[in-house]
Amino acid sequence: MTAEEIIASGKLELYITGSLPSEEISEIEDAIATYPEVREEVETIEAALINLAESVAPPLPAMVWTYVLNSIKKIRNIDGTASNKTNWAAMSGWAAAILCFAGIFWMLKQNNDLNKSIQITNIQNTQLKEKVNLTEGELTKQNNLLSVIRSKDFNTITLPGNQAVAPDAYAKVYYNKAENIAYIDANGLPTPPSGKVYQVWSLTLDPLTPTSMGLLEAVTDADKGVHKFENIPTPEAFGITLEPAGGSTTPTLSQLYTLGMVTAAP
Amino acid sequence: MEQPNSLLLEMQNGSEKAFSKIYSLYSEAILGVIYTIVQDQDVAEEVLQDVFVKVWNNSKSYNIEKGRFFTWVLNIARNASIDSVRSKAYKNSKKNLSTSNFVDILSGSDTLNQKTNAIGIKKFVDALKPACVKIIDLLFFKGYTQVDAAEALKIPLGTLKTRNRNCIQDLRIKVLG
Repeated sequence: MTAEEIIASGKLELYITGSLPSEEISEIEDAIATYPEVREEVETIEAALINLAESVAPPLPAMVWTYVLNSIKKIRNIDGTASNKTNWAAMSGWAAAILCFAGIFWMLKQNNDLNKSIQITNIQNTQLKEKVNLTEGELTKQNNLLSVIRSKDFNTITLPGNQAVAPDAYAKVYYNKAENIAYIDANGLPTPPSGKVYQVWSLTLDPLTPTSMGLLEAVTDADKGVHKFENIPTPEAFGITLEPAGGSTTPTLSQLYTLGMVTAAP
Repeated sequence: MEQPNSLLLEMQNGSEKAFSKIYSLYSEAILGVIYTIVQDQDVAEEVLQDVFVKVWNNSKSYNIEKGRFFTWVLNIARNASIDSVRSKAYKNSKKNLSTSNFVDILSGSDTLNQKTNAIGIKKFVDALKPACVKIIDLLFFKGYTQVDAAEALKIPLGTLKTRNRNCIQDLRIKVLG
């Protein structure tokens, strides 16, 4: 068939309305591919029919396209990766929330721990302050003692041990004649047996008169076994005896541990 | 109208933008065809929506080298319209498959789009020969095969072809100038 024959046959109209049997369709398609005028004729017929159909259409709301678009997006979401994406978003949201909570708890715990360690540090500070106070007190005492020992106003007297009673014992006396103060270092005396106490005596030799200066007790302890005595009678010698607790009015000479003479005044 | 083959290819490759352009080219004509079958504006819009969802989902089954795209969509639209008319939902709306044709719609309706009035097609189509109205209605709007249409109109197949061509020729001259 020539192009003119095909155009005149009326088959092109039927081809466009879809009324042609399938065995005749391929013939038309070959002709469309071969003859440009056949293709143009097909396009013109189609345009006329489209115009006719448009003329009977009611107004077309824009919403119909919106529905179409929504439908094809929904379908894509059901079988596509979009649903996975929303899962990821939800999961990362939960993960962030959990991390956030964990972070808050961790910080609360840290805060608690820090508060506790502050309390501990405060307690330690208090203890250290007490220690410092104590040490400062001791230092003052020792400085005082040292100033006594170094002072030219104090005379140092060593009381050697009584050969009969305690040959190894000794005591040291720092004696300030002007102010009538004596420090007695009892470090060289053995520890007194229980129920007994050392008593210090100030002696004048002619005649031999012992006067009690006091006991080597905690009350008189100036520092570490050094005992301070004040307002003592002017002695020519110092003696230390072991007496029953509370002391005696006269010295028990059988228990005389140390005895030493006051040498020339400084 | 020259067929927008490059747009069709893009649509087949999943371009929504191309699909949107295809929709604006064909949706009104397809709605006209649907409306002549279902005769209800709301139902026609629903069917049109279904038709274009089908077009998108099955776009790859259309072959540019085998048949016109318009013919392909026309078939989908006519089948969907007939299904809709037969469906229970439609029966409940107390409407039967109407025997009225596109000319009845043109002359009976006052909600037609402005384009129709602007072109003046209403006046012309009203003046189409009754034989032309029937033949175009059956073949184009109702989707009859040539054999079924010849039988329905009780004319020989050759006469059907010639008459159909002459009717569309008249339409072309008037519509396209």
